[in-house]
Amino acid sequence: MKKLLFFLLVGLLAGFTNARDVYFNSHYTLWKDGDILIWNVDKSITIDPKEFCLSLKRNNSSIGDPKCRVFGEWERDSVAHRYGKWLGYNLEPNTKAEHLKARHPAMIAKIQALEDKIVMFVSKTDNVVKLALFDEIASTPKVAGTVAYNNDQVALYDDMANSFFDLPAKRRLTKKEREKLATEPDEYYKETPKFNGWIGVGLGYSQAKIPLTPDNWYRSHIDSKVRRYRVTKDSTSLWNFIDDSDPFLNIYAGGTWYGFIGAEIIYRLAKHTVKTDNKDTSYDELDHWYFYQHEIGLSIHLSKTFPMNRWLDITPFIFLGFQYSFFVEDIDVEDDIEKPSAAYEKRVKFEDVYKGALVGFGSQFVFAKHYGISLRTGVSSRGRDTYSDPSPDAAAEPTTIGGSTIDCFISLGLEYHWIL
Amino acid sequence: MGRFFLVISLVMAALLSGCAPHYQWTRSHPAYKIPPRDELTVIGVDKAFVLVRSAWFAKKLGISTDSIQTKVTSDCSRLLAEELKKRYSRLKMVPSSKLDGLPEESLKLDQRIFIKGKFPEQGVAVTDSSGNIPKNILIIHEIILGTDLNRENYFDYALIHNESTEKKTSNKLTAIVSYTLWDNERQRSLYSAVDQIEKPIEKISMSDIEVLVGDIATQIQRELDIGAAP
Repeated sequence: MKKLLFFLLVGLLAGFTNARDVYFNSHYTLWKDGDILIWNVDKSITIDPKEFCLSLKRNNSSIGDPKCRVFGEWERDSVAHRYGKWLGYNLEPNTKAEHLKARHPAMIAKIQALEDKIVMFVSKTDNVVKLALFDEIASTPKVAGTVAYNNDQVALYDDMANSFFDLPAKRRLTKKEREKLATEPDEYYKETPKFNGWIGVGLGYSQAKIPLTPDNWYRSHIDSKVRRYRVTKDSTSLWNFIDDSDPFLNIYAGGTWYGFIGAEIIYRLAKHTVKTDNKDTSYDELDHWYFYQHEIGLSIHLSKTFPMNRWLDITPFIFLGFQYSFFVEDIDVEDDIEKPSAAYEKRVKFEDVYKGALVGFGSQFVFAKHYGISLRTGVSSRGRDTYSDPSPDAAAEPTTIGGSTIDCFISLGLEYHWIL
Repeated sequence: MGRFFLVISLVMAALLSGCAPHYQWTRSHPAYKIPPRDELTVIGVDKAFVLVRSAWFAKKLGISTDSIQTKVTSDCSRLLAEELKKRYSRLKMVPSSKLDGLPEESLKLDQRIFIKGKFPEQGVAVTDSSGNIPKNILIIHEIILGTDLNRENYFDYALIHNESTEKKTSNKLTAIVSYTLWDNERQRSLYSAVDQIEKPIEKISMSDIEVLVGDIATQIQRELDIGAAP
């Protein structure tokens, strides 16, 4: 009984450790309904093509209806026989594909003439079955390794199929399809490139804080209030004066050529309230104080379209551009105030125009080639409009109000697409 | 501005030194573990030697230009066989005609270095004159004898078609040897190398060439020993 247990244990261990060993696997193309040719050089093992095919079907549902047969042409050929014999004793652990290259010109020609068929080399030594798969692409095996020999034919074939044919099968093109594909004109050589255009309108939301960055980068700007119509601790960012987190409206139009490179014009409108300090009595006269933010921008658009099915295309994109920002003031005092205070008259003035950059990414989901939903996110900045050479007393010059106003945004748009 | 140029020149220097070719002159098979000890079979020695600048050698050695090539190469072949015999006591020679009829193949050592030569067929073991199958065979592909030669010019495929004339100098006697240790039982190359062996020239005589051939044998033995990964 003890003896039996021992043998069982050894058998199990051997089964686990030595069941299969793939030396290398440089992924080949497994064809659906393909031809598998069994090349059994030394006849040290008998492979039943019919049973093996059934194992393939059981273990790989994508393989379709493969045809397996004994590869008699190579088994009878002397050049192939010599190479096969050589392969049998050179298939060892740690060998790479380059070590198993067929060198004889006639053998190389035979491999090249396979035309989408897969050759499975089999040879049995001791208690392992050596396997190597060839396709027409290379004169070296694509996959090689061993599986443990098993007296149960079906279990052995299942193990072989599972170790070496376990990849999604592709449909083989028919001869006509290949001809058509070979003679089809290349889209990239057309005289007028394919143009994909769109117009869209969207709603979004922007804020000064960029997610995943520390709060203390923004706290002083966000928490700041405006006293006596112009006083803040720091004026480099407009977010010291006006609310940063507000919704915006987005209107845009763009297009890409070759489905890859394009441009987009954007218009963006948002309304920001000035952050007046409620405890400050100088605002008692004030009815309202807003700034309307108008932005016009132009960006380069790089994208790639992935057709999902007949009615949906997904196009991820990145964009990089510049923009001009205009802040239009809307302020009024209470009706009963005859003359506003001196502080009101001397209130803060923003620059006429700010120039900035915008960068981001997103994705368009286009249904039925025309109706799109677009989701995008990015970062945009506003800075000085013109650059002047730094002068020696630059440090003494007052900083431009709002010269470093940065926000991040996210927006959802509805689009109409067309293809020319 | 000065710093800018410094950075630029440093980047250029790094790029240039990165571009300068670094060659790999040897290649071992992972299965090459034990170098040959006493027993070795050699093939190709009889046809391996090539003499370049033969007119110069003819003048210096006082041999007629017509016979210098055959005289020096046959002497060297005989000498190399003797020198190898000193290092491998059970040395056997197989004539290079055993490889006749096989196509010339190239064996890659490096991105740009390829050995050209004939290799036995896969699945067919080479037999010696008495019909035995030797375990290992040393295939000598080519030995180029000359003065101040560079192996890059003969084995880097990007340079071999260079037709620019170089100034012929004769400071050193050079031999460029390409060889392969062949596993005859499994018909695979265990170790391949291109070696460059040099000897300064003072007053050239046949004995200088004899010493150089001895150095070739020493170098081959040393390389075969180093190349085996235990």
